[in-house]
Amino acid sequence: MSSISELYDVCWEEMRDKLRKWREENYRNSEQIVDVGEELINEHASKLGDDVWIIYEQVMIAALDCSRDDLAWSCLQELKRQFPDSHRVKRLAGMRLEALERYEDANKLYDSILQDDPTNTAARKRKISILQAQGKSSEAIRELNEYLEQFVGDQEAWHELSELYINEHDYAKAAFCLEELMMTNPHNHLYCEQYAEVKYTQGGLENLELARKYFAQALKLNNRNMRALFGLYMSASHIAASPKVSAKVKKDNVKYAAWATSQISRAYQVRGCLPTSVGLHTIQVTFWPRLMSSNNCSN
Amino acid sequence: MAHLLLDSSIRLWVVLPIVFITFFVGVLRHYITQLIHNDKKVDLQQVSDSQVLLRSRILRENGKYLPKQSFAMRKHYFNNPETGFFKKVKRKVIPKNPMTDPSTLMDMMKGNLTNVLPMILIGGWINWAFSGFVTTKVPFPLTLRFKPMLQRGIELISLDASWVSSASWYFLNVFGLRSMYTLILGQDNAADQSRIMQDQMTGAAMAMPPDPNKAFKSEWESLEIVEHKWALENVEEELMQLQYKTTLF
Repeated sequence: MSSISELYDVCWEEMRDKLRKWREENYRNSEQIVDVGEELINEHASKLGDDVWIIYEQVMIAALDCSRDDLAWSCLQELKRQFPDSHRVKRLAGMRLEALERYEDANKLYDSILQDDPTNTAARKRKISILQAQGKSSEAIRELNEYLEQFVGDQEAWHELSELYINEHDYAKAAFCLEELMMTNPHNHLYCEQYAEVKYTQGGLENLELARKYFAQALKLNNRNMRALFGLYMSASHIAASPKVSAKVKKDNVKYAAWATSQISRAYQVRGCLPTSVGLHTIQVTFWPRLMSSNNCSN
Repeated sequence: MAHLLLDSSIRLWVVLPIVFITFFVGVLRHYITQLIHNDKKVDLQQVSDSQVLLRSRILRENGKYLPKQSFAMRKHYFNNPETGFFKKVKRKVIPKNPMTDPSTLMDMMKGNLTNVLPMILIGGWINWAFSGFVTTKVPFPLTLRFKPMLQRGIELISLDASWVSSASWYFLNVFGLRSMYTLILGQDNAADQSRIMQDQMTGAAMAMPPDPNKAFKSEWESLEIVEHKWALENVEEELMQLQYKTTLF
């Protein structure tokens, strides 16, 4: 089995820089990280200097993802030897126990961290992940709510909570969480789009209008967002098709829907394929697997 | 004014040594501070409060991106006369008297020890060791008022105020080497004296001001006066206008 450096003809500095890029941009390509990182650690550990510790952490988490307990254990040992009293290392030990499904032991470890330092957010979040892993989603939701009461600014937690609520089909609360995210990141088109999707799924004329507006906002922020374009088309056409709207509103929405259709066609033309109306319908149906529900059409 | 010609050995034995002494003392200070520095224990309540205040501020600034209902709901949560967070929550404030509170006293003493003491000691030593002669000339003209300050030990009435003694060269170094410290020790280093003085002047730093009640009250007032003007009122029209100017794909 040839090493990475032979396969791709890279030197160890490039491997280290690649790992740094993956770390900073939060990539989750665990197999690649394990391959590159393992070689870096085994062959070039001395040349890395102080970088080696953060690489150990990164490789260990990736190894847990790939069920490589041997690698994870060796990384953990190195880290424990260097930082014997560190909470961060304790959390990694807890994560390894979680990966081995020893949830009780992991919980005990996290509780000991929290006793020592009640403001440690990482340990709390790991405890919530344990509940999620065990499938106890309502308890996870409750714990996450309590966590967020104390740490209102934690955006990762808000996002996780919105996903949990969506899985429970509690769209109103999911919308609340996404509003928090939109408030703190007003220029992120993905949050606008997710919010609009939740509103669309909730259904009802007001929510459809809100959905349409937020799809448009997402497009304004990033005009390449195809999902938002389709969302705009669908929400506008649903409002136009609803019997309860006034003529003016109907006219406006037909205009928006037509504009959206033209944009979609142009996008496909640029990519080199012309959609027919049948094609458009198929794309609609397949493209919205998660949130499409037939209840919406009756509003 | 007459151009003085200084002995070149002044440059070798005074100017450069002062630079090195200042620099190394600064580096030493940085490491000593790191050694005797103990981690500040953060209070959960404080962290939580500061995040709540942050959320309220963000609500004020970015509330216009939320629907009217959601904004009203959050404003109500904070400001409602009976159940609003800012009205209901009163934190018990123990006025932290800096004289009697032992931890802040320790911190203050440590700060003094590592920063002010070396400065005084070395400044005094330089004044004593390198006195009686002129060290360097500052490149800009100074008024006569600066003479007693910058020309310690040189009692010449006719000497131009731009010629300074070694003590002033030392002080110049203390402030001037700040960027060198940033280069070598990285940002946020303890050798950066002027920053410490700035901190002392600005007073209440990042950590929660000792009176969260006051902070809550001022946040309540600012939130009261905020109106919700929805930024998405005409977003579809704006979007379509935008696309006529630039092609979408």
